Amino acid sequence: MILQTISAFFATFFFAVLFNISKKQLLFCGGIGAFGWFIYLLFVKLTGSVVLANFISALGISLISRIFSIIRKVPVTVFLISGIITLVPGAGMYRTMYAMLSQNFEETAFYGAQTLQVAGVIAITIIFTSSLPIGTKKR
Amino acid sequence: MQHKTLLKFAIQAGEIMLKSGAETYRVEDTIERILSVHHLDVIEAFVTPTGIFATIDDESMEMTTLVKRIRHRSIRLDKVALVNDLSRRFTEGKISLENAMAELNAIDQRLPYPYYIMVGSTGLVSAFFTAVFGGNVRDCIVSLAIGIFLAIMQYFFRKAKTSRFLIDLIGGCLIGSIALLFTRLIPFTNLDQIIIGSIMPLVPGVAITNAIRDTIEGDLLSGVSRAVEAFFVAISIATGVGIVLKIGFALTGGIL
Repeated sequence: MILQTISAFFATFFFAVLFNISKKQLLFCGGIGAFGWFIYLLFVKLTGSVVLANFISALGISLISRIFSIIRKVPVTVFLISGIITLVPGAGMYRTMYAMLSQNFEETAFYGAQTLQVAGVIAITIIFTSSLPIGTKKR
Repeated sequence: MQHKTLLKFAIQAGEIMLKSGAETYRVEDTIERILSVHHLDVIEAFVTPTGIFATIDDESMEMTTLVKRIRHRSIRLDKVALVNDLSRRFTEGKISLENAMAELNAIDQRLPYPYYIMVGSTGLVSAFFTAVFGGNVRDCIVSLAIGIFLAIMQYFFRKAKTSRFLIDLIGGCLIGSIALLFTRLIPFTNLDQIIIGSIMPLVPGVAITNAIRDTIEGDLLSGVSRAVEAFFVAISIATGVGIVLKIGFALTGGIL
């Protein structure tokens, strides 16, 4: 679990490089990514629900991105995009496709529905935290 | 005359932001904020992911409209942050129009991270995401190689100005075939973890996030078009990987 969190830090860090985020913000982006993945793993372990874990983790990531963007005076997208990338259901997409390939339609429906749920949950948390009236200026 | 220069400045600022992957509402907001400095009667800005329209009107001048079509987009969040900051300083009156225009040009010319850093980062993103999703050390090394190949492939195709969807399709094929090859050659490697980690650099994170944020701000047109972009990118990747795996399975017989 610790190893995965550390990996999440570096994965997000180098993802931020791919997005050409300036050097000053890179460490913060990595930190948000690691934090989000830690919360995710923790809640998967506690509750066993992938969708719930995604919800809480995405909530944490978008709140922290909002706070960092106010403190560091950069647009919230810089932190949000790089932080949320760990949660983007790439694995779900792949498993759905794989199940479809092996003509296992029960699994296809399962993973497909789960991927859609995760995507929906992430969207809702971003909507939720973006609508919160913290900080007078929009960033 | 002064108003026209201001409009040009506002449009250029908007263009740089939109090209670099900013949300549509942020671009609209920035253009309107810059234009509001001159206290004109009419200020309208309409932005979609592929174009910017802005109109100003006042008693002292003819109505002026400027349209800017946006074609090539890339992800340069550093530019978004810098233009955002510049527009704020400009509206607060901390910088003159001439200086602001000079600074905007300097921002536009900013170079991205060097090519070799991009290649290395793509490889490392793949490798670390493989670890995040529970791959072992061998998986990570294979992913590192795939990521580096992927970045080199992307570089050449982008130079040829190929469509993004084709690049993603070919990228998917590349990931699938290298992953399939290595999992056959090297024992104790997991195909799933390698592929999941390696497709992460292609996943349309910016499009998804911006689609959501645009929709919240009421830019429904942009929200839908970005969501469609994200959807097709995802389909391209899945098709690319899927075709290769299907052929691989057909040749070797059955599931691995």
